[in-house]
Amino acid sequence: MRHGRLLSLYCMALYAFLYLPLGVMAVFSFNDAHRNVVWRGFTFKWYQLLFHDAELLGALLTSLELAAAAAAIAAVLGLLASYALTRHRPFKSREGYGALLDAPLMMPEVALGVGLLSFLVRAGYELDFGALACAHALICLPYTVGAARARLKSMGESHLEEAAMDLGATELTAFLKVTLPLAMPAIVSGCLLAFTVSFEDFVTSFFLAGIGIVTMPIKVYSMMKFGVTPEINALSVLLLVATFGLLALNAALASSRPRRDGCGP
Amino acid sequence: MMMTDATRRDFLKIAVLAPLMPALMAACRRADTRRVVNFYNWSNYIGKDTLPEFTRRAGVSVRYDLFADEEEMFAKIRAGARGYDLVVIGDYLIPRFKSLNLIDAVPSGTLKNMGNLAPRFRRPSYDPDETTIPYLWGTTGIAYNRRKLAKQPSSWWDLWDPKYKDRISMLDNVRDCVAVAMQLLRIPQTTRDPEDFRKVRELLLRQKPLVRQYSSSSYLNSLVAGEIDLAMTWSGDLFQAARDNPDLDYVLPKEGTYMWVDCLAMLRGSRHREDTLRLIDYLLEPEVAGSISNSVRYATPNAKAFPLVEKALRRDPRVYPTPQTMGQLQLHHILDPEQSEMWNQVWADVKVS
Amino acid sequence: MDRALSWLLGGRRPLASHLLLAPAAAWMIVFLVLPAAGLLLLSLAKNGPYGEILWTLSLNNYRRAFDPKYLPVLLRTLGFAGGTTLLTLLLGYPLAYFLSFRAGRWRNAMLIGLMVPFWTSALVAFYSWMIILGKEGLLNAALLRFGFISAPISILYTSFSVLLGLVYFYLPFMVLPLYGSLEKIPRQYVEAAYDLGADRWTAFRKVTLPLSLPGVIAGSLLTFVPCLGDFLTAEILGGPRYYLLGNLISNQFLMAQDWPFGAALTCLLLTCLVGGLWLYRRWDDQA
Repeated sequence: MRHGRLLSLYCMALYAFLYLPLGVMAVFSFNDAHRNVVWRGFTFKWYQLLFHDAELLGALLTSLELAAAAAAIAAVLGLLASYALTRHRPFKSREGYGALLDAPLMMPEVALGVGLLSFLVRAGYELDFGALACAHALICLPYTVGAARARLKSMGESHLEEAAMDLGATELTAFLKVTLPLAMPAIVSGCLLAFTVSFEDFVTSFFLAGIGIVTMPIKVYSMMKFGVTPEINALSVLLLVATFGLLALNAALASSRPRRDGCGP
Repeated sequence: MMMTDATRRDFLKIAVLAPLMPALMAACRRADTRRVVNFYNWSNYIGKDTLPEFTRRAGVSVRYDLFADEEEMFAKIRAGARGYDLVVIGDYLIPRFKSLNLIDAVPSGTLKNMGNLAPRFRRPSYDPDETTIPYLWGTTGIAYNRRKLAKQPSSWWDLWDPKYKDRISMLDNVRDCVAVAMQLLRIPQTTRDPEDFRKVRELLLRQKPLVRQYSSSSYLNSLVAGEIDLAMTWSGDLFQAARDNPDLDYVLPKEGTYMWVDCLAMLRGSRHREDTLRLIDYLLEPEVAGSISNSVRYATPNAKAFPLVEKALRRDPRVYPTPQTMGQLQLHHILDPEQSEMWNQVWADVKVS
Repeated sequence: MDRALSWLLGGRRPLASHLLLAPAAAWMIVFLVLPAAGLLLLSLAKNGPYGEILWTLSLNNYRRAFDPKYLPVLLRTLGFAGGTTLLTLLLGYPLAYFLSFRAGRWRNAMLIGLMVPFWTSALVAFYSWMIILGKEGLLNAALLRFGFISAPISILYTSFSVLLGLVYFYLPFMVLPLYGSLEKIPRQYVEAAYDLGADRWTAFRKVTLPLSLPGVIAGSLLTFVPCLGDFLTAEILGGPRYYLLGNLISNQFLMAQDWPFGAALTCLLLTCLVGGLWLYRRWDDQA
């Protein structure tokens, strides 16, 4: 089929576009320069440095914890909210809620950072990891809501839960045994988006990071003026390798388990 | 995608725990009660052993946070971020920090190393009552790529030369750009005449089509990568960039130029005043100040430290200008609010149009 | 417990809906609405000589925002946001289609593969783009090598590099919602179209495309709206001629230190966007 081949080729090209900078990044992690914009020779030293750089590894850990916390909060709040928005009988101010939940997308980052920081200071709250995680959950919420909402809405049209309840299940059982498993792909992809948004965020983090809280983006941006060293590339490469390793492991485990279907409509 | 058989109990557990997670994590991170100073500084702006040595000697640990952009740092502190004890700020920001009540005066009388500073840096115009302590200083000048330019630039006018179109970058900063335009037009910085500001605006707008970047940090990458060949720059920044491109050089324009001083300031509400003062006094010690200058390639205002600076650096007129050039260097004029507003207006117009 | 939760989920009463929405709404109110209200108040204040806030309330900052000199900034921003949305849509739709209809067992890997490039720092990605696009970069070297150009051309700090950066960073935000809505289309509908004699293209045009419209709209919103406030891309990949709304707003907070004016610009942008979105939702729910 020529058609199909053309489309696959196109998709491969698009992934090549997405991964081109990553390839460059990987190559330049062996660059013997401080400021990683021109090639100045091959070295392994950045990888060696990396394993002794407690500061950088600490920043990575902080970022991972932060993204996990923010994605978890956003996933739970987003699921509950989108369930009410899509599956409940229409009620007054539903559109209002919808617009409110999308609002963080529209706030220019710097304005959000300054506004939120001023507000927390005025409220007498001392900046800590919790404040930062809450702010990240805020910017993640639109993504988890968006993903869950689309899925739940279309599932509502298939009346599966109603069938379950006709068979004697309570709403809760139907939710846990039917809705939740069917919505799981959307919840997972919402979580992935949320995790990415949080992991990448610099501006909000910069303003809300209390003393001694350094995330990866804060660490990297602080190097902006005097050069982001290839050590950051090395770290990113290891992170990618770890991610792909985990994904491969997951795929291997999944294929060894008997496949249960039923997630597609 | 992955499918899990979520049992009711698991779901409830997650639903209850997830929102509590940040609080739990925060609880695990409770700050310890050791003696500590919270220091907020540029990255790459201190010697490698400076702070560990202080901790070893004084038994006070230093929590060292970094910023990449002075304006962002100012905005963060202004919005109310508290808890930093010591912060490095540029001279032109000091009057603003003061008028917003953001800093406490360093009781300079109590510092036993205060006398190490060169007389030139005592009671400066930007801070006559010595609320802050000079840390490092440098100049504003022109960076250029020797290999790409037929002849060495010598004047600010070279940044207006059409033959360098799209190879120029300017600092994204009101103070430096407007001041240079005024210098070229021979307008004194004390002016309030709208006609003068019209001329300044015109001069800067005439340059804009030639400019590839207005930037205070990322232009250094462009210089190293050969993307631009000519840039208005701060001295030490260029020397750090030149490590990755030996063709880069720095020149002070013949019209004369400005010097700037980065200072140590104690933030209002510091909870560790004693130890902060101890740290400032430590940074004023000749050996310490000298080693900082050696490792960051900026000039130290510390007269006693000067002989301890590496010979090559000490004799480099681009870092420590000759006495004759020193005479031509001036600090930025301290603007009153009305002037400041006019300067900002000109710059905003240039950026927007 | 069981009954209470069932009552909540059943949602036959508005109270149940409000309760289920309460945690998310409370989050929004505490961390967004209250700080935004602070900004609204701030936008009515006056910027003092040294950047202190003077609480003499007036609409002056809003009057300043309507100065015609900001019109080019607004138009330019709309142009870049619109262009990015259109490009990501055109580039992303075939990919989303492939993911949903063709990818088979590769689907999960490809979906995650779409996000993974963004788990590195954006700044590192920017650096890589500089290495690729620079005058002495890979692209110029390739073009020179194959004789397309005779001297290196400037690619960085042009509208092309800004657009490229924006498309690169927002592509996943377009593809995922598109994929989501394509995934929902019952496959029988498409088969029915074939059975009725439609060819591939007609089936796509008459069945798949219309049914995927919600995804198109959702993806466009997720791209267009954040683009309006984006400032890092233009700052790092753009030159002096690409000053966007996001740069204007963040410069008020950072460089000009004119917070009241920055707050006024923010409030205007928020009002337009939230209002627009509210209208859209009403229309969407009625349709």
